[in-house]
Amino acid sequence: MVATLLHFVPAQMWLITPEFILRLLAEGLLIGLIYSLMALGLTLIFSVLGIVSFSHGEFYMIGGYVVYLFLQKFQNSLPRALTGIGALLAAMLVTFAIGVVFERLFLQPMARGEVDRPNEYAILTTFGLAFFLQYLMLGLMGPFPKKARRFFDLPVFDAGLIQATKASLKIGNITLGAGRLIAGLIALLALLAMLYFMFKTWTGRALQATSQDRQAAAVVGINPMNMNTLAFGLGAMLAGLAGAVLVSVYSWVPWVGVIASSKSFVIIVLGGMGSIPGSLLGGLIIGVVESLGTGLFPDPVRAQAYRDVFGLVIFALVLLVKPTGLFGRKL
Amino acid sequence: MTTQTAQTEYALEVRDLYVGYYKDLNILQGVNMKARRGQLTAILGANGVGKSTLLKAIFGFLKPNAGDVFLNGQRINDVPTYQRITLGLAYIPQRMSIFRWMSVEDNILLGGWTFRHDKERLQRKLEENFERFPILREKRRQPAGELSGGQQRMVELARTLMTDPQVLLVDEPTAGLAKLLKREVYDMLTELRDREGKTIILVDQEIRHALRIADYVYILDLGRNKTEGPTAEIVADLKKAFWI
Repeated sequence: MVATLLHFVPAQMWLITPEFILRLLAEGLLIGLIYSLMALGLTLIFSVLGIVSFSHGEFYMIGGYVVYLFLQKFQNSLPRALTGIGALLAAMLVTFAIGVVFERLFLQPMARGEVDRPNEYAILTTFGLAFFLQYLMLGLMGPFPKKARRFFDLPVFDAGLIQATKASLKIGNITLGAGRLIAGLIALLALLAMLYFMFKTWTGRALQATSQDRQAAAVVGINPMNMNTLAFGLGAMLAGLAGAVLVSVYSWVPWVGVIASSKSFVIIVLGGMGSIPGSLLGGLIIGVVESLGTGLFPDPVRAQAYRDVFGLVIFALVLLVKPTGLFGRKL
Repeated sequence: MTTQTAQTEYALEVRDLYVGYYKDLNILQGVNMKARRGQLTAILGANGVGKSTLLKAIFGFLKPNAGDVFLNGQRINDVPTYQRITLGLAYIPQRMSIFRWMSVEDNILLGGWTFRHDKERLQRKLEENFERFPILREKRRQPAGELSGGQQRMVELARTLMTDPQVLLVDEPTAGLAKLLKREVYDMLTELRDREGKTIILVDQEIRHALRIADYVYILDLGRNKTEGPTAEIVADLKKAFWI
């Protein structure tokens, strides 16, 4: 009995200190912010267009590659911070544009009622786009992993408890890498901007209105077709931005979006389909659970391989208790 | 001259309208209807005769396979649905069409989408609506989906009145409401006609209520005009009134 229990105690128990737990939490929150950003994009598309986009991960992948290429092209001709900002803007613009063009060409016929089986059509066209983008980038960039250099540095300072170098931030005994920290902060800023846009601007309210009652939106004068295009473009852009901030943290290959995409599906179901707060909280929960699970798993060798499992366990538990997800609307 | 008369006398006209949910299956088969300006015109008939389909077609949610819809003498068949509100045509569907997870105030304000950049006008119209429905002022911050059925209808009506439309298409406004609330809703419609001169086209199953407030009545049967006339005539002719 004791031997069985001991099996579940981490091998390096002496390593588990409050600082270690705090570092795991902080890292989980940072990555969770990026998950939330991606899931928010998928939520926007699902709630306005009523479809699940299977090409969401590929927009994430494209965002990363745009940053990589932008940095390659301009890193010697522009100041470092400016290159970073330019790269992010370029990634957002490119993914938004692809999203808008794709929605206009392939999804509008469905919204206009010109397609006999819209659900199957949406699945096939978004899957088609996903394969097209993957193979396009495979042709353009090759199969070998790429990694962009960090495009923002932290300001160097020493304020006693908090110290920062260009590459890391130290709070007490907790050290966080600049890459993840900056990625998390950019994701946080983007999330706040999106929340402001959705709840405080007319266009954001029109998107919400269209998602809640498409016919009523048309009755008040909102053009639902334009809202579809905007939602798909913004959703693609958010995924692109998530990829853009992570390309300097992870190695990038043309199929890097597959896992990111499936994680987004898990998050939006966990948070409640179509719920903005749900996708934000869901992302943070999955990020923290993955980080804690990986850090505290008894067998550190296997822990990394089980990373996605920890999130899925929480996902299954939540759905058992609340099948509509955390903030799910009653159907 | 004829057109001129049509423009002043009739706010809305439907000519020989064929509409269906599928291209070769028409629910409405040559329906004609005229709504006199400032009057309440009721469309009555048994379940499934095409009353709601008629309103959906007038507002553009269904594209006519044949026939025309005129608003103030102007043919509007090709005007996109979302632009019809700018012509002074409004639609209140049978099922509750509020934005459930948005506040009462946001719901009403969205009614002013077409003039959203005119803050002064928005505020004025919002105030007018709060004066018209004081209970909505009290509940302005509450999600509209949490209100009672009658109050949700008020939100819909307030949102619709933001643009000050001249013609209102109202589809079974009291469906699912308690008896007391039904009377309130009919009073609201009567007031809109009498005080504000709105032209109202009302589709209803509540025949007695509808006949009480309507000026003119159309009765449909299996997608065709069965009979029509001023309410007094229709009521007097029991045979017509009890067509079912």
